[in-house]
Amino acid sequence: MKSLRNSSRSGTSYRWMVAPALLFAGVMIVFPFGYAVWLSLCEVALGQPPRLNGGANYARLAADPDFWNGLRLTLWLYAISLVAQLVIGTWLGLLLARTRRARGLIRTILVSPFMLPPVVIGMMAIVILDPSFGIANWILAQLGLPPRLWLSDPDTVILTVAAIDTWQWTPFVALIVMGGYLSLPGEVFEAAEVDGARGWQRFRRLTLPLLGPTLVTAAVLRSVDLLRFFDVIYITTQGGPGTASTTLNILAYRRGFEFFDIGYASAIMVTLSALVFGSVLVFARLRRAVTW
Amino acid sequence: MVGRRLGRAADIAALGAVLLVLVAPVAWVLLSAFKTRTEVAALPPRLFFTPTLENFAELFGRSDFLDYSWNSFVVAGGSTVLGLLLGVPAAFAMAWHRMTWPATATLFARMAPGTLFLLPWLVMFTAVGLTGTRTVLILTHAVITLPIAIWVLLPYLEAVPRELVESAQIDGARAHQVLLRVVLPVVVPGVVVAAILAFVFSWNYFLFALVLSGMESKTAIVASFNFVGEGVTNWGALMAAAVVIAAPPLILTLLIQRRLVGGLAAGAVKG
Repeated sequence: MKSLRNSSRSGTSYRWMVAPALLFAGVMIVFPFGYAVWLSLCEVALGQPPRLNGGANYARLAADPDFWNGLRLTLWLYAISLVAQLVIGTWLGLLLARTRRARGLIRTILVSPFMLPPVVIGMMAIVILDPSFGIANWILAQLGLPPRLWLSDPDTVILTVAAIDTWQWTPFVALIVMGGYLSLPGEVFEAAEVDGARGWQRFRRLTLPLLGPTLVTAAVLRSVDLLRFFDVIYITTQGGPGTASTTLNILAYRRGFEFFDIGYASAIMVTLSALVFGSVLVFARLRRAVTW
Repeated sequence: MVGRRLGRAADIAALGAVLLVLVAPVAWVLLSAFKTRTEVAALPPRLFFTPTLENFAELFGRSDFLDYSWNSFVVAGGSTVLGLLLGVPAAFAMAWHRMTWPATATLFARMAPGTLFLLPWLVMFTAVGLTGTRTVLILTHAVITLPIAIWVLLPYLEAVPRELVESAQIDGARAHQVLLRVVLPVVVPGVVVAAILAFVFSWNYFLFALVLSGMESKTAIVASFNFVGEGVTNWGALMAAAVVIAAPPLILTLLIQRRLVGGLAAGAVKG
């Protein structure tokens, strides 16, 4: 029986080769995820085994102003960064597609920001945006503008963080858009040329719809990173000043690892995960709607 | 015609401005790393100065930065190897049998916030007495490198001609021989790309090492963050640290750009 199966041409099964990776994923990803969900439903006190407390952590969440503040900041940071990166990225991607010169050099420059370690991005921001010794405020002064407290003004710190992320990741979006545009069938554009469609009209009616699937892909990738954005915020502001940049992920980290409020921190993390998965599902729907 | 030429000039100006915005901060960090303590905070900024290596001397002389860099190297290298060891056979089986669910499952790891895993990991690694070791970081960073390996390799493996594998089967090759002697040599370019991306992402990763590394396993990334936290006033040394940790990913990224093109050519099906 066994030899028969083996002798049929493609009968050999390699499925078992997935097993080591699955075992690893089970131990390192699936089990910890389940454990975190369970912790989120428990009261965890040091020196005692976790005890189920009937969703009390989630009830606390709903009544905690820090949670709502974190959710608001997370969504605000997400919305402005995503819009900025998609709009500028599309513009830049189409500009790149039109440019034939120095493609290699340009690509190297574009790739560098998002290949840099987030810690380097953070250090860079701290030094450049320092209110008294940073070069950013010196440039503002030369232009006759007042200095800004880039990372320590509670009203604008989220905008600064969004600007840093936009600096780092817009080139990524632009490269995706360029790739998507260059793979479009050229005849469509020639036909449009014949019909006299130009400029804005051509972009609005033709380029943008054709780029739909590409843009959704870019949006999904950025959404996942932006909703759980942690490193650059933590490095530059640690969530401050006060709680002005304490997004959900920063809040969860601080509650878990600075206050050891483990059950509650887990509840925040699970809620944030649900938000990320939810956004991916929404975009998966959207992708089906814009596919041509 | 005039309009088109004007348009082209506007394109070049706009592109130049974008590139300047992208390059200037990086260049500023690089310049600062080679300035003296007084020059580094001088305003108006000094663009012309005698470069000095004193910041690097201080970085490596006054801290254990060399050890931290070595830790980073071991962790990134180890997790890359582990990710490939697990990912190459898995991606091959997935490509061959057209299994989609394991690929979707690894996306889960890509989407979940890293903070979610940290508390369970702390409990798990404490239970087996591994906390604070580089092994912990290699294992946790493999959670990042494994999905990269699988997703980068899948298209390369899907392009492997089925006849190649089937004729090896007829010759009596066993499964591991098929993978190592027949499939792997064909997808080397893909493995290189996967390895470089995995290494860079592991090298750069901040959160897991922030919580899980001990005195003995601290990575250069976390050490640099600690410099910031300690309020190091010597920006020159800080920028020197930034240059040291930024160099490996930037250099590897340059390599991959050339290999990517070569890899695509080599991946073309022959006869």
